[in-house]
Amino acid sequence: MFEALLKPKTIAVVGASENPMKIGYAIMKNLIEGGYDGEIFPINSNSSMILGLKAYSTIVEIGKKVDLCVIAVPASSSIKAVRDLVDLGVSHIVLIPGGFSETGPAGKELEKKVMEIVKGTETRIIGPNTVGVYFPYAKVNTALTPPDRVSFPGAGDIAFISQSGALGLLTMDSISEFGIGISAFINLGNRIDLDEIELMEHFNSDPNTGSIAIYIESVDNGKLFYETLKRVNRAKPVVVLKSGRTKSSAKAASLHTGSMALDDRIFDGMLRQAGATRAFNEVELIDYSKVLSYSPQLKGKNIAIVTTAGGVGVITADYVSATDHGIGMNLAVLKEETKRRIRDSIIAFGSAENPVDLTADGSPDSYGLVLSALLDDENVDGIIAYALPQTPKMNLGIADIIAKYSESGKPIVVGVIGSMLGTELIKEFENKKIPAYPSIERTVLSIKALYNYSKYMEERNND
Amino acid sequence: MIDSDETIERLRREPQTEFTLKRALQEMGINVPRGVLLKEPPESINIPFPVALKVSDENVLHKTELGGVKIGIESAGVLRNEINKMKEKFPDSSFLVEEMIQGGIEIIVGLSRNPVFGLSIMLGMGGTMTEIYNDVTFRLIPVIAQDCSDMIDEVSVGRFTGNGFRGKFIDRKILIEFLLKISELGSKGTDFIDQLDLNPVKIDGDKLFVLDAKIIKYIMDSGGNE
Repeated sequence: MFEALLKPKTIAVVGASENPMKIGYAIMKNLIEGGYDGEIFPINSNSSMILGLKAYSTIVEIGKKVDLCVIAVPASSSIKAVRDLVDLGVSHIVLIPGGFSETGPAGKELEKKVMEIVKGTETRIIGPNTVGVYFPYAKVNTALTPPDRVSFPGAGDIAFISQSGALGLLTMDSISEFGIGISAFINLGNRIDLDEIELMEHFNSDPNTGSIAIYIESVDNGKLFYETLKRVNRAKPVVVLKSGRTKSSAKAASLHTGSMALDDRIFDGMLRQAGATRAFNEVELIDYSKVLSYSPQLKGKNIAIVTTAGGVGVITADYVSATDHGIGMNLAVLKEETKRRIRDSIIAFGSAENPVDLTADGSPDSYGLVLSALLDDENVDGIIAYALPQTPKMNLGIADIIAKYSESGKPIVVGVIGSMLGTELIKEFENKKIPAYPSIERTVLSIKALYNYSKYMEERNND
Repeated sequence: MIDSDETIERLRREPQTEFTLKRALQEMGINVPRGVLLKEPPESINIPFPVALKVSDENVLHKTELGGVKIGIESAGVLRNEINKMKEKFPDSSFLVEEMIQGGIEIIVGLSRNPVFGLSIMLGMGGTMTEIYNDVTFRLIPVIAQDCSDMIDEVSVGRFTGNGFRGKFIDRKILIEFLLKISELGSKGTDFIDQLDLNPVKIDGDKLFVLDAKIIKYIMDSGGNE
């Protein structure tokens, strides 16, 4: 249903420009430099060529079917463009301009006009007040930011739906540092037509998508949102970041239950009921989306920790066991046979107890033997493995070793601390779709998110 | 689970007093204290002392705050005396005299309406500290047994299940069954329940009693929208 949006064969840009100060320039630049290989039609009545492409003075002049049209002219002039596009049967319009309902009643009227025009037609609206869309698999990038200001992630697993444009762009810019990939980015903006519910449905059956990350500020149709979320989450785990946690429509003068029914408590309960994962910031949003897409399910609470740095191991052990500043899970009690195999693989002053410490003597090979022993131990449900590349015997080959043992069916979540080789190493893991995180806390919280999701799925296996 | 929709139908129409609400709960297989509804002081009653006396009137929602509740009444003489005193304050009301349920743990269960998500069910520890500790959790209705079990573990109520806590024990299965019934009541009463408070509900092992029940009716706006 969204084929024309996500894999458009032709894209028109209303308001395309050669003036670098205009967003119509940035959008053209992003489309061209992003490597889009379909046809691009710049629309501008004052130019015949824009960025080396033949420009058209009106949409009608194109004379070909347009799958996707980006409108980058001000709100007031966008109405006519929408009408023309609807007349031509354009499937999807990305309505970039602000100046709609977010500015007040006059803008709200403009939005109503847009909806009146598209009502009953085949044309769908994304936005208005959107920074655009980005589909790495189809190399479609309609972002309004200059290409030299924002990095965009490569093709990957996470479908990213954001009500806020800026938060979406900033998050994509951030995760690009570690080579995290996405399957799509859509900024819903004022969300007058296309919404997160339809998109969840779409990504549910999108083979490129492994998990769905959603940032929203509000929900319109609560029941449908919940039901869709609950169903989609079973196949494609959904992580939700919702702002406005302290706002509430709870009634002041009412019964006990009513006065306690803060909006966020209802929302939180709804997420748990749907089995969706809650994120409280943009970092958690992507961290959890990664682990839920990359890892097999975590079948129990018993975690083994592997480290080459003792301090990192014991802090992680605290985090795993504690309920306060921790995740309230268990440190796996290793079998004697496991400990014997570990002792045979590591230096004498290392620790064969959980957390297993190979010390600075640890090499990728000895690490592999330890992982193998732990994975064979039925007391171990999952592993937190630290890949710390700072010691002489350690090297980037650790990514291959951990990748090899990640095929076992038990999840391995990786922590990488440090920057000189660390960032490179996380990229390596990302390439291999192994969840890796640049801090103890992020690693531990991610394994907890995986546990919660797995537990929900296990308990509701027969529903 | 609710045998007849008659219960719901009656609840929809009847004045929403504690008495009518409790009778409906009883018809749903939920325990409430033995009680009798009176207009005048009785010669004797069929309920063992001590008893509780409460004003029963659709227009008196917050009974305790208005002096409409007296507990620990030990004899028929004291009861008559107390009813006469209460009649001065509430001359047109009826009075509910109830058996007092001893022991157990107090919890709160309720329904409340959200403009986006509709009715949801709440579980929390009872007593005044509930609000201070935010010891409550919500789910949209209808819930399934696993949702109820999760709710129990999200609040302190869960500490009393399993082996109990300091000699006090809550039977998880009984509580889940109860929550499912309240969820069903919400589902069937979506068109007329705005808020429901069952507070406190007392649980002692597998014995569960709803001690107080309040309801606020939901009135659709003229457009017929929520």
